[in-house]
Amino acid sequence: MSEPTLAVLLGAVAAGEPSALRGIYQQQSLRLFGVANAVLRDRDQAADAVHNAFLNIARRAGQYDPARGAAEAWLAAVTRYAALDILRARGREMPSDDPALGDIPVEPEALQLLEGQENGTRLRACLQSLPEKNRRGIVLAFVHGLSHPQIAAQLELPLGTVKAWIRRGLLSLRDCMA
Amino acid sequence: MTEEERQGLAGEYVLGTLDAAQAQAVRNDPSMATPIAEWEGRLAPLHALAPPEAPLPELWGRIERSLQGTAQPRAARNPWFSRFWAVGATAVAAGLATLLVVQRPEPPPLMTVLLTSREAPAFLVEADRGGEIRLAALNNQVVPEGRVRQLWALPAGATAPTSLGLVPEDGRIRVRAAAIRPEPGMLIEITLEPPGGSPTGRPTGPILFIGRLAPARGV
Repeated sequence: MSEPTLAVLLGAVAAGEPSALRGIYQQQSLRLFGVANAVLRDRDQAADAVHNAFLNIARRAGQYDPARGAAEAWLAAVTRYAALDILRARGREMPSDDPALGDIPVEPEALQLLEGQENGTRLRACLQSLPEKNRRGIVLAFVHGLSHPQIAAQLELPLGTVKAWIRRGLLSLRDCMA
Repeated sequence: MTEEERQGLAGEYVLGTLDAAQAQAVRNDPSMATPIAEWEGRLAPLHALAPPEAPLPELWGRIERSLQGTAQPRAARNPWFSRFWAVGATAVAAGLATLLVVQRPEPPPLMTVLLTSREAPAFLVEADRGGEIRLAALNNQVVPEGRVRQLWALPAGATAPTSLGLVPEDGRIRVRAAAIRPEPGMLIEITLEPPGGSPTGRPTGPILFIGRLAPARGV
C-alpha cells in the first residue's frame, strides 16, 4: 500500500489540514528523531526538538518549495534548526569529549551513506577532496552540532585555525559543487 | 560584506556553528535567504549520517496536544479529515502516481488525475501554462444533498488556496484564474462546501480529492 508523498502531505498541511501532519510524522519520525538526537545526544531534549520542529512544520508548510529540493531535506533542516536552538539555549555545555563522538561517521567509508541521497554523490566527492581535519570539522558541526571551540578541542587544533579552516572548507565545497 | 563573506556566513549558519545572536541576525536578514537555501541544498545529504532512532510513542500525542492549543478554528471544525487519510490516502497517492503520459509539443501541459476512495479515476485535471485549467469528471460521483463541490488551486509556496469556482453537477469545468498561473507542483483540490461555495473564501469542508500538477511528458 503506497503512502502519499511527503510533498503532497506538506501541501495538505499548508492548505489548512493539520491532520496531514500525522502522515508526515508516521513516515519521518525515526529519521527526524535521529537527526535531533545526533545533535543533542539527549533523548528528552531530542524529543523537545522534534516537538518544536513539528509545530514549525505545521505553521510553515507553505514555505516548502518542491523546486528547491526534496521534502525530506526540508523536514530534516527544520528539525536540525530546532535542535540547534535548544543546543544554543542550553549553552552548548555538552562535553566535547563525549565517548559517543568516537563513533562519528566521518571516515571515507561512512560517507558512503551519502550515496543515494539527492546530490549525495557529488557532496561525497567534494568532501573527500578536502583535507581530512577540514572534512571532519564540517561533518562534526553539521551532524553533531559542535561549536567552533568544541571542534577545536576534538581535532586538537587552535580555535582560530579551526574557524579559518571551516570557512575555507565551506567555500571550497561550494566551488567544488558548483 | 563581500559576496564571499556572505556565502561563508550563510554556510556557517546552515552548518550550525554560529552563536545564538549571530544565527538570529543571519536568519532575519532577507538577503541571506537565497544563500541559506543553497547551502541547505548542498549539505542536505549529511542528514543521512545521523542514525535513525525511534522516539517514545507518546511524542506524537504531545505534538498533537500542542497543535490543538494553537490550531486554527478550521481544524476543529474538520475532524473528518483524519478519517479521510485512513480511507483516501492511498487513493490520493495512487492518483498522483497516475500522471498521464501523452505526446504534446512544448511546453507540455500540466496534469494530474484525482481518484475516488475506491481508487477509481474521478477527475482529470489539465492545465495550460497560459492559465486555463480544465477539469473533467471521469466517474462522476453523487454530491451529497445540499452541498457543492468547490475547486481550489494552491501554488507552491502560497499559504492559502485560491478558489477556481464551483464544480457543476456534470463535473466539467473550464476556468482561467487571473490570480494564479499553473505551474508544476501546484496543488489542485476539491472540497465539499455549503451551497454557493465556501463563505470564507478558504476551504471550510473536507477535501474530497487532491493532486499535484506535473508536466505530462512525451514518451
